[in-house]
Amino acid sequence: MNTITLHNTLPKVFAGRADTGSEIWLREVTFERGKHYLISAESGTGKSSLCSYLYGYRTDYSGTMAFDGRDIRQLSVAEWCEVRTHHIAYLAQDMKLFPELTALENIMLKNSITNHKSEQEIVAMMNMLGIGEKVNSLVAKLSIGQQQRVAIVRTLCQPCDFILLDEPVSHLDDQNNAIVAQMVMAEAARQGAGVISTSVGNNVKISVDKEFKL
Amino acid sequence: MSKSNNNYSSKHLKWKLLRKHISPSQLVGFSLASLIGLTIVILAVQFHQDVRPIFNDEESFIKKDYLIITRAVSTAGTLLGGSNEFTQAAIDDIQSQPWCRKVGKFSSNDYSLYATISVGGYGGSAMGTMLFFESIPTEFIDVADSEWKFDPEKPEIPIIMSRDYLSLYNFGFAASQGLPQVSEGIISKVPIEFTLRGNGHNDTMKGRIVGFSNRLNTIVVPQEFMKWSNERYGSGLERNPSRLILEVNSPGDVKMQNYLDDHGYQVAGEKMQQGKAQYFLTLVVSIVIVVGIIISLLAFFVLMLSIYLLLQKNTKKLQDMLLLGYSPSEVARPYINMVLAINAVVLVVAIVLMLLARAYYLPMLQAMGTPGGTIVIALVVAVIIMALISVGNIIAIRRKINALWIQQS
Repeated sequence: MNTITLHNTLPKVFAGRADTGSEIWLREVTFERGKHYLISAESGTGKSSLCSYLYGYRTDYSGTMAFDGRDIRQLSVAEWCEVRTHHIAYLAQDMKLFPELTALENIMLKNSITNHKSEQEIVAMMNMLGIGEKVNSLVAKLSIGQQQRVAIVRTLCQPCDFILLDEPVSHLDDQNNAIVAQMVMAEAARQGAGVISTSVGNNVKISVDKEFKL
Repeated sequence: MSKSNNNYSSKHLKWKLLRKHISPSQLVGFSLASLIGLTIVILAVQFHQDVRPIFNDEESFIKKDYLIITRAVSTAGTLLGGSNEFTQAAIDDIQSQPWCRKVGKFSSNDYSLYATISVGGYGGSAMGTMLFFESIPTEFIDVADSEWKFDPEKPEIPIIMSRDYLSLYNFGFAASQGLPQVSEGIISKVPIEFTLRGNGHNDTMKGRIVGFSNRLNTIVVPQEFMKWSNERYGSGLERNPSRLILEVNSPGDVKMQNYLDDHGYQVAGEKMQQGKAQYFLTLVVSIVIVVGIIISLLAFFVLMLSIYLLLQKNTKKLQDMLLLGYSPSEVARPYINMVLAINAVVLVVAIVLMLLARAYYLPMLQAMGTPGGTIVIALVVAVIIMALISVGNIIAIRRKINALWIQQS
């Protein structure tokens, strides 16, 4: 997958608004593989909605979104599974971790279907993010910041063309923000992937090719 | 290493996640209900298979049923000389009834008949008795025999006798008097002499028993012999038959019963009672099967509700797994496997219970002279029912999980 394009898209809840003042909604936007994008937004402007449309689990929008020119409304369930395991790595704002599993189990649940990283690599990434001793702790017992780091590691456990991060560092301090940024950049560089990151203020510290205001 | 890999396999992790909220008591409830329902159904099917031969004394593949009817003999009729014969109009009316396939007339001898059996070689020690003959169209006779014909040039009379007569002798008379029992083979070889007298003729002919009938409660000779002998020895008067043999669709038919009652016709033998008993057997078995199926259906819905509840409680988890890239069928698989495992156990246990129950009642049936039917049909029914239930379960689980694919905003 080389491009993600948005053509005149608008969440249905915003229908009827003439000008949203957005650089995304009701515009012609193209995200290219290998480039880094930041979408800065205020709360309630449809940031998480945009991510859910691009990940195929919500369809309540007008206009068209396309992967390599193909309308994503036409993707089959099997094709979406392929997108989710091989083309777009996604970190949801609410992380979507399973509290009854340990940190490592949560990550392995993803990695076991992609076989992208070894267990050692995963533990090394967790060590880098300062959650090495939490490998076998239940996610329910972790702080929200620790959970966010577990979710970031899990997101990077798959081959991808784009890394889609919805407020990836909202609960992280500057030091961890920097480590996350470095880790994401390294993984994106290794795979030649594009990065699309959203933020309401606390930006992940990556170099950005283009910034959009939502 | 392999242990840790195992612990982190997608299968293991999936099950660890999705088994949450599974209610063992609901599953036990379903399993028991399903087991009871299935066992009842297949036991009823098996019982029907085992008991049916008691009612079918004929082995013919397409079963036909025959009734022999007479007009009721009343005291007044006897005193006043009323006729017990069937008029042609009455026969035509019976023939036109929907439950009746064919009607055959009994004709009887219109002359004096005396039978003698020579016993042993003691120089003419003989037993003799007055006798009667009847004949019916050959198509109603259940004993196939190439000797079933009569040639006036070489007069020998083939006879078919009711098997009941022989049984009466063997099990009633001979047993009580200490006389030897005789087989059908032996009695067929006993030569019988018949003296036919009337219309100025007096002849003696040889006769032989060529067969025994379960259906005909009389002594039957070929129709061609009856016609020939009545012309030669009889009075020449055409008489209406006093007995009819009917081939009917079902001897337990209520409409037929009403018709016969209304016209004052009586049914000979217990065929009709047997027909009724068979009818009630089928009825009772059908009711039991329906009850079993209803229990099975209820069990099916209990399981469906239980699974829907489970899926409902795990909705968030299932949706998050779909977002990780698990396909709906992968997410459904642990539940499907669980249901299939339960159904397989229920199937096996139900079959075992059915066989145990059968082992309990079969000796009683064997005492009644029936070896029991095949178990194949009950097994096939069990597998088909479980397959249908399993397919229903799988479809329901798949549909429910597919419905989680698109989330509401």
